[in-house]
Amino acid sequence: MRGRISSTVLWIYFIFMVIFLFLPLAVLIVFAFNSGTSPTLPLQGFTTRWFEQAFSNGELVQSLARSALIAVAASLIATFFGIMAALGLSSKAVRGRSLAIGALLLPLVVPYISLAVGLLILLQALKIHHTLLSIAFGHAVIALPFSLLVILPRLRSLDRALVEAARDLGASAASAFRLITLPLLVPALISSSIICFTTSFDEFAIASFLYPSGQPTYPVFLYTGSRSPQTLPQLIAIGTLVIAVSLLIVGLAEFGRRWGERRLEGRVASALAEKARAELPRLDDIVTPV
Amino acid sequence: MKTLRKRTTTGGQALWTWPPVAFVFVLVVVPLIFVALYSVGLRSNIPGTKTGFDLANWKDFLFGPTNPFRALFWHSMTITVVVSIAVTLAAYPLAYFLSFVARKNRYTLLLLVLAPFFTSFLLRVIAWQAILNENGVVNSFLMWTGLRAADDPVTWLIYSNFAVVLVLFYSWIPFVALPIFVVLENMDRRLLEASEDLGSSRLATFLRVTLPLSLPGVIAGFVFVLIPTTGEFITPLLVGGTDSQLFGNQIQSFFSVSPDWNYGSVLAMTLIIVVLILMLIFGRFLSADLRDTSTRSAR
Repeated sequence: MRGRISSTVLWIYFIFMVIFLFLPLAVLIVFAFNSGTSPTLPLQGFTTRWFEQAFSNGELVQSLARSALIAVAASLIATFFGIMAALGLSSKAVRGRSLAIGALLLPLVVPYISLAVGLLILLQALKIHHTLLSIAFGHAVIALPFSLLVILPRLRSLDRALVEAARDLGASAASAFRLITLPLLVPALISSSIICFTTSFDEFAIASFLYPSGQPTYPVFLYTGSRSPQTLPQLIAIGTLVIAVSLLIVGLAEFGRRWGERRLEGRVASALAEKARAELPRLDDIVTPV
Repeated sequence: MKTLRKRTTTGGQALWTWPPVAFVFVLVVVPLIFVALYSVGLRSNIPGTKTGFDLANWKDFLFGPTNPFRALFWHSMTITVVVSIAVTLAAYPLAYFLSFVARKNRYTLLLLVLAPFFTSFLLRVIAWQAILNENGVVNSFLMWTGLRAADDPVTWLIYSNFAVVLVLFYSWIPFVALPIFVVLENMDRRLLEASEDLGSSRLATFLRVTLPLSLPGVIAGFVFVLIPTTGEFITPLLVGGTDSQLFGNQIQSFFSVSPDWNYGSVLAMTLIIVVLILMLIFGRFLSADLRDTSTRSAR
């Protein structure tokens, strides 16, 4: 049905775009192993020296550890509030629902630079010292919308009958949540944690204003370090590792999501569905004649 | 039946919405209120300064003749709009390809387009810096192959508006391709068949059916780029020169190198107002999938 010529042109365009998108990543990987001291052509020779230097650079390693710590905290906080918000919004009877949605998605549209200076002013006004925790809170709030956008659709796709069946069988709201909703949400919670983690790990604007003096996060260290030719090759080396890990996580997350959904739906949900089905004729009799 | 429904779907559950809203309020709305207070002189970061309501900074920014920050603001907005249009134009064929040509493997290929986006933004900008530098990959390649004399590098590649636009363009492509792809995927293909059955050429079908139906995705993608680019400052820091810095850089410098938190707050508030205006115009295209709960949960 579609013309062969136009689809060939689109294929060429697509391949060109993918090359363009991966070009900087390829450049980093190539120069991470190049023995020249600056990223210039022609290539000099193969070396793993930059990796050795990078790992013995205490400040660099510490900044990575700091960012990882902040990202874990931010991811936990954001996912915790994300579940809460999704639970609340999945109920129909929220007063001021659009106001709540607007507020929860606000961090998505506020320019980070404005938010960063706002948080700087807030900490100064409240006389709170800059700590890694204040960065974690700043990152949690910008990650919260992502968490909500991952968890809410998953929560909505769950079969209501499962929770209703549990309640009819005598479970309290809390244990119905713990025994049914929460296990079924696990794949979404994992995706949410990963997205929030990477959001925080990569964040520069807020961290650059809030980091405690002498304790830069990895992106802040990366920025300052990239200005000095001596540290640049090490940063490129570590950068390729970070890129490899992120791509691995993306792949694993996608794989895990499919696997997790199959498994959970297969095992837990089928058992529950069996239980629920026993109750369903009765539920249908009551519910459908609306 | 009423009681049954009520017990499971309403009541206490709705209250869970409010702690996260309070969290956002404290960490986003309150800081922005402080920025607003600073912008009108009601607070100051310099101890002992007399504070009081004062619109002088705003007046200077909005009406001061030859105000450099206002000129910078318009320069930044121009760059932002240029980038947003270029990215949207480039991303559309990509999304179209994924949805219409790469039918079978489209999700794998989509992941390929999105993958770079999951790696560190800062690292990718640093990579571009290495590519575009005066002794970087492009220039050293040109000199190595003799296409360019060794003492005559292409200078406009880096520390220029070109570099800033190129890197921003690069960074946002996957971000725009995604919403357009989603809209194209959800389109009713029977409409396209109907159009062709009724005698339209493929071009006419595209222009009169596909394109109009995909506009919500196009607008969503466009705004997704417009909003973060208005405050962008990392890209110009790394690949921009002194005359290709953006509005965000000026805000950053008012809060770091040359501190004037009050004037900086005027600029930071300006960005917030720009975003609010954009949201008023385009907001309804952005969060549709969160709002339609009532119809879905009624199943």
